[in-house]
Amino acid sequence: MAGADVALPAARRVMRVAPWALGGLCAVLVVAGFSLGVELSNLHNGLIAAAFTAVGVFVVAKRPGNREGWLFIATGLAHAVMFFGRQYGLSAGHGNDALPGAEWVTWVGVWPLALVLVLSGVTLMCFPDGRLPSPRWRLVVAAMVAAGALLALASALWPVEYADDALSVPHPLHVGGYETAQRLWNLIGPSSYSLFQLAWVAAVVVRMRRAEGDEARQLRWFAYAVAMGAAAMAVGLIALRSPVPGVLAVPVIPLAAGIAIAKYRLYDIDPVINKTLVVGTMAAIITAGYVVMVVGVGRLIGVEAGPSPVLSLVATAIVAIAFEPARRRVQRVADRLVYGDRPSPYEALARLSTQLSRGGRHAELFAGLASTVADGVGAAEVTLWVGADEQLVAVASWPPPADQRSQLVTGHTQLAALQDGERAHVRRIVHQGSMRGAVTLTKAPGEVLTNSEDRLLHDLVAQAGLVIDNAELGVELQHRLHEISVQAAELQAAAKRIVGAQYEARRRIERDLHDGAQQRLVTLALSLQSVSERAAATGADDDLAAKLAEARHQLSQALAELREMARGIHPAILTQEGLEAAVGFLAERAPLPVRVDVRLQRRLPQDVEATAYFVVSEALTNAAKHSGASSIAVAGRLRDGWLRIEVTDDGRGGADGRLGSGLQGLVDRLATLEGQLTVDSPAGGGTRLRAEIPCG
Amino acid sequence: MLADDAVLFREGTARVLSEAGFDVAGQAGNAAELLDLVRRDPPAAAIIDIRMPPGQTAEGIQAAVEIRQISPDVGLLLLSQHVETHHAMRLITEFQRGVGYLLKDRVSDLATFASDVRRVANGDCVIDPELVTRLIDKQREGDPLAELTERERTVLGLMAQGRSNSALSTELYVSGKTVEAHVRSIFTKLNLPPDACDHRRVLAVLAFLRS
Repeated sequence: MAGADVALPAARRVMRVAPWALGGLCAVLVVAGFSLGVELSNLHNGLIAAAFTAVGVFVVAKRPGNREGWLFIATGLAHAVMFFGRQYGLSAGHGNDALPGAEWVTWVGVWPLALVLVLSGVTLMCFPDGRLPSPRWRLVVAAMVAAGALLALASALWPVEYADDALSVPHPLHVGGYETAQRLWNLIGPSSYSLFQLAWVAAVVVRMRRAEGDEARQLRWFAYAVAMGAAAMAVGLIALRSPVPGVLAVPVIPLAAGIAIAKYRLYDIDPVINKTLVVGTMAAIITAGYVVMVVGVGRLIGVEAGPSPVLSLVATAIVAIAFEPARRRVQRVADRLVYGDRPSPYEALARLSTQLSRGGRHAELFAGLASTVADGVGAAEVTLWVGADEQLVAVASWPPPADQRSQLVTGHTQLAALQDGERAHVRRIVHQGSMRGAVTLTKAPGEVLTNSEDRLLHDLVAQAGLVIDNAELGVELQHRLHEISVQAAELQAAAKRIVGAQYEARRRIERDLHDGAQQRLVTLALSLQSVSERAAATGADDDLAAKLAEARHQLSQALAELREMARGIHPAILTQEGLEAAVGFLAERAPLPVRVDVRLQRRLPQDVEATAYFVVSEALTNAAKHSGASSIAVAGRLRDGWLRIEVTDDGRGGADGRLGSGLQGLVDRLATLEGQLTVDSPAGGGTRLRAEIPCG
Repeated sequence: MLADDAVLFREGTARVLSEAGFDVAGQAGNAAELLDLVRRDPPAAAIIDIRMPPGQTAEGIQAAVEIRQISPDVGLLLLSQHVETHHAMRLITEFQRGVGYLLKDRVSDLATFASDVRRVANGDCVIDPELVTRLIDKQREGDPLAELTERERTVLGLMAQGRSNSALSTELYVSGKTVEAHVRSIFTKLNLPPDACDHRRVLAVLAFLRS
């Protein structure tokens, strides 16, 4: 454990120091090499060594874990070795005799070329993340390494590359079969080198085609640099018949790659490419125009003695007239090349309306809106704000924030603050007369918002009002719905509690009446009885006896009334015997004949029994009072956890819509139990009242 | 012997029964006490409140069932604040004889109550007139009672309460023969075979009423 603890910081320290050490080594080799003179044939090696190593060290220092940085250092260092060896050999060849061991040092600078080319190819293939585009490329790399090793071995044994490089220092080894080796080399060597180049170009193209987002932007930097290098080489060779401009442009490639790895988010390459394309093309067109006019036409009309001032004037005039239309067309082509699938205004609007109609979460809609605006007007950054003038909240941005959680500006911002930005374009989002938010966008440096882009932005912003409105409406609606459902649940629970409490109170009152008032009155009746007996025994007058008899009668009436009242409040039979017996009891007391067919098998929850009881009671009362029925049937069953109880009469019907107030109260009570009441009462067809109550 | 958890009522009943010449052998506040007393000294009749502790439902009926097993000759008179048909049916079908079912109110009419207690003690059946009235007054589909005369209805009601023919003739101030004629007429109209036994008559009447 202790070893690991020590080893880890040590390894880390090595990792931190190593790039600088390697960079220093490279610098020493390059500086030493140049101190031996400047050789055009070897210049590119020195430049590559310096540029790649410097960029590699820079990248690794910034991002120690970056594999591509290490590959750059390796490539640079290999070139430095090669550069120094060749400088040494070239210098010795020019007669610098003060250089010892020139044969071997030169040898070290020559034979690794094949392997160094392979290394460089792999480095470029692995741009920008230090990994091959896909595992399948490993086969290509393996083939390259095998071929490179074979070629390097040949080069190490025989001086097959010495002639090309104008090296006059002899090869240190003298192995037989040189002629055969040289013939084979001429056959394989140069073509293999070309294939190595082709391989990395292919890798970069493959990568570019499927790259998205950041990687695409990084690759664009790189491709731009390669294109510039190639252009410089081409222009140099054609115009100046010299590879020097191309060689001097070589460091641009690692430089661009370095920026792409470390700084791509800071600089947008697209406008640069765009401008280069336009300027380059225009320059070529103008040059071509001049050449055609001044040289070609001059020749035709026989002006041989140098350029004619008249033709030059005419050419200038033509170029001046054609310049702006040509530039516009070139710009359009360049735009299409650089920005690729930037949608037309129509496409942008169509895409937005598709997104809108597809719906989805409002966060996605906002993000879609921001990206549509960005695509539509070619903005570098777009932010969508929601809210009124003084309190805007950023809800979406493009490019999407790298870290979803830490995204966006939080808190409120004022519109005025947004307008402060230099390159910022701010558009208020107004919907139905009130401000709903804002869109802010910045274009890349040097780019302006063209009229057509401005019009598109205007149209998109008009749609944005709708998006925000919908989103807010949706949120508001969902919020309300949630509140309502919560309230409904609370109300339902409260109603159930109230009804339950009511039944409980009724039961208690009935019990209190039974144990209290009724008992006392009966006892009072007994006392009165005693008094009557006593009065009769003591021969009291008839008046007293009559009054006592009257009192007993009154008391008896009071007891009967009290009994009825207690029953109405809550029938004891329901509590004691259950619904079946209680319905039988109701039927027995109904003024009409009642057929009872209630079979339940078990006792039900108290609230359910009480509600069902009162439903039947009310239905029987109504039937007797209003329906003119001659008979009533009560049927009840318990099935699938539901109590269904039906009261049917053969009366005149037509009771729809005029439930008695008692029945309405029962509908409410049923609702608290999540039950329901249906009344079927066709005129002349009797009335059927059906209660359904869930009882678990 | 008396059993009721309401002390005042129990004492009052005991007093009026004593005044009416009964010997109140014992009083109990619940079913268990009552059963103890009955085991020790079986009385001629036990007057029992249907609703007693601990459940306050129908403990009295359960106690009555046990008394009948312990001592079959004890007349059982059950009292209640309200009378239910199904209780009446259950009592009559369960005990067949020497059983009564009355509202507590009836205690205040000492003469009738005393006679009811005696009849129960003698093995007759007694049903509360309110229950009988309720059933007889009730309209029915294809009601055979509709064919009865007013007088016959009265007779049927008294029969249903468990009165004998002689009691009927006393009550209605008519001769025994007249009563017999009424009873025969009722039985004919209701399609019931005549029967000498009172409780059979009650049973038959109630069974018919409940049908």
